[in-house]
Amino acid sequence: MFETLRLETQGITKTYGHLHALNDASFDLRVGEVHALLGHNGAGKSTLVKILSGVVHPDAGSVRIDGEEVSPRNPRHAQDLGVALVDQELSLVPVLTVEENLRLGARRAVSSSDLRTLLDTLGLEHVKLTTLTGSLPIGEQQLVEIARALSRDAKIIILDEPTATLSEPEIDRVFAAVRRLAAQGKSVIYVSHRLGEVLTLCQRATVFRDGKVVGTKNVADLDRAGIVEMMLGHLPEFRTGSEVRTPENPQHISIRGLAIPPRVPTFDLEVQGGVIVALAGQVGCGASEVLRALAGLVPNSRGDVELGGVKLSLGSAVKSRAAGVFFSPSDRKEEGLFLTHSIVDNLVATRLPRVSRGGFIQKSLQEAVVSKLLSLTGIARERRELDVGVLSGGNQQKVLVARGIDQPNSKVLLFDEPARGVDVGGRADIHELIRGAAEQGNVVIFHSTDLDEVFDLADVIVTMFAGRLVNVRTRAESTPAAVLTDMTHGEGEISA
Amino acid sequence: MSTVNDVTPSRFSIGGMSTGQKITILVTILFLAILIFATVTTTGFYSVQNFKAIINAAALVGIIAVGMTYIVISGNLFSLSVGTTAAVCALTFMWALRFGLVGGIIITIVFGAVVIGLQGLLVGFTGANPIIVTIAAGALQEAVAIWISGGVSVYPPDNGPSFAFLASPLFGIPFPVYVFVAAVILGEIFIKKSRFGRGLYLMGESPRAGRTAGLPITRLTTGAFVVAGVCAAIAGILIGAFNQSGTMTASGTLTVDSISAVLVGGTAVIGGRGSVVRTAIGAIVIASISDLLLLRGYSTPVQLLVLGVIVTAVVILSYLNSERAGRS
Repeated sequence: MFETLRLETQGITKTYGHLHALNDASFDLRVGEVHALLGHNGAGKSTLVKILSGVVHPDAGSVRIDGEEVSPRNPRHAQDLGVALVDQELSLVPVLTVEENLRLGARRAVSSSDLRTLLDTLGLEHVKLTTLTGSLPIGEQQLVEIARALSRDAKIIILDEPTATLSEPEIDRVFAAVRRLAAQGKSVIYVSHRLGEVLTLCQRATVFRDGKVVGTKNVADLDRAGIVEMMLGHLPEFRTGSEVRTPENPQHISIRGLAIPPRVPTFDLEVQGGVIVALAGQVGCGASEVLRALAGLVPNSRGDVELGGVKLSLGSAVKSRAAGVFFSPSDRKEEGLFLTHSIVDNLVATRLPRVSRGGFIQKSLQEAVVSKLLSLTGIARERRELDVGVLSGGNQQKVLVARGIDQPNSKVLLFDEPARGVDVGGRADIHELIRGAAEQGNVVIFHSTDLDEVFDLADVIVTMFAGRLVNVRTRAESTPAAVLTDMTHGEGEISA
Repeated sequence: MSTVNDVTPSRFSIGGMSTGQKITILVTILFLAILIFATVTTTGFYSVQNFKAIINAAALVGIIAVGMTYIVISGNLFSLSVGTTAAVCALTFMWALRFGLVGGIIITIVFGAVVIGLQGLLVGFTGANPIIVTIAAGALQEAVAIWISGGVSVYPPDNGPSFAFLASPLFGIPFPVYVFVAAVILGEIFIKKSRFGRGLYLMGESPRAGRTAGLPITRLTTGAFVVAGVCAAIAGILIGAFNQSGTMTASGTLTVDSISAVLVGGTAVIGGRGSVVRTAIGAIVIASISDLLLLRGYSTPVQLLVLGVIVTAVVILSYLNSERAGRS
């Protein structure tokens, strides 16, 4: 039974203009299999997912489900064919109840008790069907989203980065659910950047690069390095040792008694410029709130924050900005980038005064800033007038991070999940940009839920759990196990 | 870095044109077709005299619509009281002429900028809904104006300065037309080239992204409304000069007409895109169609009906365009 093919694609090609998003891609999915799709942002895996779920139509090639040739016309038709997509972006309606969301757009009747069972199997026993979806934590909303796909009785379930915003216990629940589905004979396509997850969860992996299928392998025959090599075509170099930055004029921030109701009762931290500090914690640990408060985006935050001895008044984004604080949000689409504006417009959006004289934008000043940032990010010059919305996630994120760096008046740079949903290569580029900013003497504080990222980028690791600071250690004295323990459990005294 | 899969289709790149550009082109084609049809079938349409009448009719609405464009691009929907403010400004101008012509003009413009700017301040600072704020402000202005003026027309002081040139032709073209052209050129350059204008476009697309990028949201919103106030005041001065008096009934359909001009021009209702020049085209198209209907003997209700149909069509068109893209 395991060898029976559920889905088979042959020679799928999709071009946008002269760009091959997918070139002659062939792929198959067995009954009862969890199959990983891996690759860079822009390597072609999302295009395949969109084709299978009816969002995009291929230029050439065939799709067979259970041996029968099909062409999903739209997401609804794909649903009828037994394909369900759980997108990485939440598509739940916050003001509807959990039950209403589960039933939204459903093509067949499901009893409330079946929905109840479904939630229970995902570890959502404590969530009532009548709860407003928007009142649930993001991680639980993600599980509801998965429950919705499952309620459609799909044969093929596509999970696109399902764990990106989840905490460890939530991830375990998703894994358990996925394994149970596979055991029931469903087929799961699992798109993820987290190689560790792929190695634990999937049976086979198909790797994409530059719109082509590099190969499909049994996960049992693969290790981390092997997958990365297939994705990149070469092995990346991991950072070793601790580099010491000695900027000329290091900035300094002192945070005392920062309170951000309701999540963070109190937070203290001192950071010297040139040092990169990670706030490591799961979703909901309070790190995001700390960064947002420093950026002036939380109106009711209080506390003593001093930049180089000068008091920062909290609660005004304009004042924080003027004081030299720059913040890069985790949600690049909702509150980070101006999607219908060009790369150029986005890059200078945070430094309009610097590229203006007498109230008017000066092309020459703008050009100088943009040229430098484009060369730092490695984004091709010809693309500068493209809308940011059409770029891949990785390049969007580069633009977002680049907006904050290389500003003469900057003192503190805050990055919330700086490499969210970005592939290995893009992440390395982004980390390089952030290190460059630290070298210039800026205080750099970032929040990440991802251990790899924390250990790759940080000099000092601050762990957070449930709104409190757990531990402060240099990277040299930290071990992944210790950090992960802090992030997932806190310390006895704190979790009590 | 691989970039092969980087460009995905979206509403912003279909056929290399934005929704707004497509609407502008469609409107222009429709407009040319109407012009040809009108020239062939309607006596009196194809004449210098009539074109002057059209452009003159477009001028007053057009000047107000220039300011409205700033509000729409800033992402704050519309002001529903600019027409009222224009009428109040006509009153103010008649009264303020006692301080001389220049004094009267300056006082009126400052007055208009403050009245509408305060609404912008309220919207920007509290995040209040601009539609509600401007409806309320419109009612307030009307009430206060009628209360102070006693509900009758305001006439200029007997020994006041002459302002006749504001309403008379210069080189055969009515003075308001020059003001309209100047407002469009200055308005377009300012919104496209200035730091303030750039901020408006960015904030209009996403106020949340604007806030995190450190854009001064309150100041930008207030600024957009101030521009609208200046434009409404200038229109008010010209209206007062033309009528040689100020009366609240002068507001008429100015607000609705100026919103129509912005929409027909193809500026996105949701903000962040559009241009002043497009609005000018919209104003001229609407004036031409009204003129044509008038020449063919259709009554005011029919003219309103046609205007309504055009605006609705434009709204549906832009909705369809953004809907189709929303999925990808």
